[in-house]
Amino acid sequence: MLHYLSLFILAILLIVLQSTVTDLIFSSYFMFEMSLVVVIYAGFRLEMMKGLVLTFFLGLILDCVSGSVPGLLSFIYLIVFLCCFFISDFLDTEKNHVIALFSFICVFLKEIMLQAFYYLAFDVGLRPYVFAVIFTQSLVVGLIAPIFFYVMDRAGIFLYEKKV
Amino acid sequence: MFFLKKYKIIIFIGALLVSALIMISYSLKFGAEQSFLKKVALETVAPVYKIFNGSIQGVQHAWGNYFLLVGIQEENQTLKKKINELKAVIVSYREGYLEAQRLKKLLSITDRYPYHFTAARVIGREQATLFRTILINKGSSDGLKNGMPVMAYPGLIGRLIDVSRNVSRVLLFIDENSHVDAIVQRNRIQGIISGAGSRGMTLKYIPKTQDVQKGDVIISSGMGGIFPKGWLIGQVISVDRQNDGLFLKIDVAPFVDLSKLEELLILSSAETAIE
Repeated sequence: MLHYLSLFILAILLIVLQSTVTDLIFSSYFMFEMSLVVVIYAGFRLEMMKGLVLTFFLGLILDCVSGSVPGLLSFIYLIVFLCCFFISDFLDTEKNHVIALFSFICVFLKEIMLQAFYYLAFDVGLRPYVFAVIFTQSLVVGLIAPIFFYVMDRAGIFLYEKKV
Repeated sequence: MFFLKKYKIIIFIGALLVSALIMISYSLKFGAEQSFLKKVALETVAPVYKIFNGSIQGVQHAWGNYFLLVGIQEENQTLKKKINELKAVIVSYREGYLEAQRLKKLLSITDRYPYHFTAARVIGREQATLFRTILINKGSSDGLKNGMPVMAYPGLIGRLIDVSRNVSRVLLFIDENSHVDAIVQRNRIQGIISGAGSRGMTLKYIPKTQDVQKGDVIISSGMGGIFPKGWLIGQVISVDRQNDGLFLKIDVAPFVDLSKLEELLILSSAETAIE
């Protein structure tokens, strides 16, 4: 129980850190979704239950904080997590380029899903520059993801003498 | 129970997905603002946000202040440099003004008397106990000769004693070797002005019966052919009648502050020179 509570607190910290630091560095031009990298990491490295709980918390808190439709990001994150979890059996998730490419695709698809939902639910039209922003955002996350994986792996070795 | 244990993960995944979908449906139907969950989450996250934002704003503020200070430091250095430049300009202007004032006074002398004057600048001083002389930047190449009277506003100060090609030495009246025939302007009593070093000058050989008072103006008598008659030399500052001698002991102060001489005039008409 304590473990899941700590996941909840970590999720809160991550979301707050993400939104404040992103705002500081990128001046609100686009959001750097570290939370999605964590979801991908959970899909690749964590066991199913912990990963599901962490993903759901992350999505839920991000939903509440970002002002989107509650449950939407939770749903999308869960989809992403499940994809990562099941695909990780078929991919060499130790390779940096695999992590980078997969993260890129995940962020891109997540954004497309989000845009599609808003288009269908609220009839919000897509602006021409949206794809450029999504592409840049995906590229940044794709480039950062291998670093995050490396740091987390090193932290796992440091704390548990093995990868998480 | 066996079913639940076997399909626990799948049921859990399904439950999460369904709950997410229910939340989406609820929000779409009733609006996101109504969500109780959202309010709870915001209340939970708000303190953490506050701490993070406070820290970040502190860092931003410190960073901004740092750059502000760097800017101020550069500006400060620039302004200090500017101030020094302007000070130098002011000093040069002030110097020019003072020089103009002095030259104006000298010119007033040249206008007043029908003599030929040569202006010179003081380039050195000899302030030994016995000798009170100054060096000037004009010499024989400028037509100067030994014995020519030297003056500074408003009166005489001495005469040339050593004249080389480009430099000359002036023997001041306060030099103990200097003796000049002079008269008291008020009652025309004649005496000899002798140098007394740092005490100024003394007017000698005035009998005790004569009326000389403090404040009397001493002028040149014109005797001896060196100094023209009627030029200011000094002013009586004390008269001692109580001494044992036959003559009064009269102290005279020069009109000119000799320690501050910078420019002077030499009366360079041929008649005043000593061959």
